[in-house]
Amino acid sequence: MNNQIDRLLAKRVSFLADAGPDEDIAISSRIRLARNLADHRFPVSADAEELHEICNAVSSAAADSGALGCPECFSFDPEKLDELDREFLLERRLASRDFLNRQTGTRLLVKSDESCSVMINEEDHLRVQTMLPGFQLDAVWKQIDELDSQLGSRLNYAFDDRLGFLTSCPTNVGTGMRASVMLHLPGLVLAGQIAPTIQGINKLNLAVRGIDGEGTANQGSLFQISNQSTLGESEPQILERLNAVIGQLIVHEKNARRLLLQRDQFSLLDHVGRSYGTLRHSYKLTGEEALNCLSGVRVGVDLGMFTSLDIHTVNELFIGIGAAHLQKKEGRVLSSLERDICRAALCREKLKI
Amino acid sequence: MLCDICKKNEATIHIKELHSGEIHTANLCSTCASEKEKNGELSALGFNLAEMLCNLGKISSAIKSHQESPAESATVCPKCGWTIGRIKNSGGRLGCPTCYNAFAPMLSEAIQNVHRGSVHLGKRMQSASPDGRVALETELSSRRHELDALVKREEYEQAAVCRDKINQLKAALDKMSTDEASHE
Ligand SMILES: [Zn+2]
Ligand SMILES: [Zn+2]
Repeated sequence: MNNQIDRLLAKRVSFLADAGPDEDIAISSRIRLARNLADHRFPVSADAEELHEICNAVSSAAADSGALGCPECFSFDPEKLDELDREFLLERRLASRDFLNRQTGTRLLVKSDESCSVMINEEDHLRVQTMLPGFQLDAVWKQIDELDSQLGSRLNYAFDDRLGFLTSCPTNVGTGMRASVMLHLPGLVLAGQIAPTIQGINKLNLAVRGIDGEGTANQGSLFQISNQSTLGESEPQILERLNAVIGQLIVHEKNARRLLLQRDQFSLLDHVGRSYGTLRHSYKLTGEEALNCLSGVRVGVDLGMFTSLDIHTVNELFIGIGAAHLQKKEGRVLSSLERDICRAALCREKLKI
Repeated sequence: MLCDICKKNEATIHIKELHSGEIHTANLCSTCASEKEKNGELSALGFNLAEMLCNLGKISSAIKSHQESPAESATVCPKCGWTIGRIKNSGGRLGCPTCYNAFAPMLSEAIQNVHRGSVHLGKRMQSASPDGRVALETELSSRRHELDALVKREEYEQAAVCRDKINQLKAALDKMSTDEASHE
């Protein structure tokens, strides 16, 4: 039991609940920076003592900077959390599975509004993350750049004049930046155009991943587009390239939805209606079925089929239907069947119109 | 969930695709996925999986396939004690920042395979050394030589790429000058 987790549970998830640019298609924008301390071994080779030293140094720099040290901010030591609480942080997109499994000398700092977080001793000494609703990578960059400068002025970052920020894996060397946007692309999926679209994006040296960011693809027609290369371009150049591609994808998705309405209106309406019916009238729902139906309802909201249903209610359910969220809400460990029952009850309740 | 192919490693790559009304799913570990990718088998699934693996796959295969000289295999990072063998075993991850120097020849090859350039053009901390300018200037002059050579050999496509790089380097140097001026 951790009462900080309960405080988080009671909060709305602002990157899903708040309005953002192009929110009919873009759900959220996220940037993470990988940083390391110059005089320490990377977490993969450091021993427990060194990991604790690093953890303390980063924690006090964060507290000093004021950015993540305010009394309302959160601080979690994964080794002290139980399995369910760790799963909760994962579903909340605040920490990676790799990080939560590590458990020695690790710490997670989270700003009170959850827009920024720092994982200490994940693959790198620092993984700084900022997330905002909708499609607004430039605003995310502005926030994280500032936070990173505050931390960097208090820590001696490992930096090479030629290679930039040095990271545990050479995949991230240079800017250490991975920027991504979560897109909802049901139109392209229904129209059968998603595979060629993804192939096209891959040719541009950008990556496409599924909702959990860890490789799962195509659940709920949610796709995460991110940059691959971190060296040889400045941060604004990388973002410009991503922005151009994502802007095009949004246009393609809008066209796909329009064409579906023109050519095959009843199939689209039927898909949305059945999705809504399932969520509104089921008594047992698996996570996958719920996610795919939420995706269908989300298109319906965009098409104006449910005027009294807010798109942010649907967005928040993307996380609310997670196994750990359901169990924290109930306040106890649930069997798989009990989870399916609670998930259905939650959807029936939230989607009343 | 275990990988469909080796049934040993945890599957981290899950691909789902609608194909003429049927959903096809593949669950692969990164090793098997990059293996299949190399053999060109994955295009059958309709996706270019290589790009869905993070670049990690590419880095580690570039590092794994590196044939080190006897001198290289004997190299030990003075700071963390890691060797090339150890790096290969950790999926291409390094032991400490000093490893970048200790294993520079092998790494520069792997880095070129993955990134769009070989010199950092992004953010620099203010406390960072002024040598950043020197690094950019060295790179700029070597790119200029490269451009001359490419033009002489009439390799215009490559030359255009090189010219873009030169412009980026110039822009980065200009930005550095204006930043410095505004701090004075
Ligand atoms: Zn496998
Ligand atoms: Zn080392």
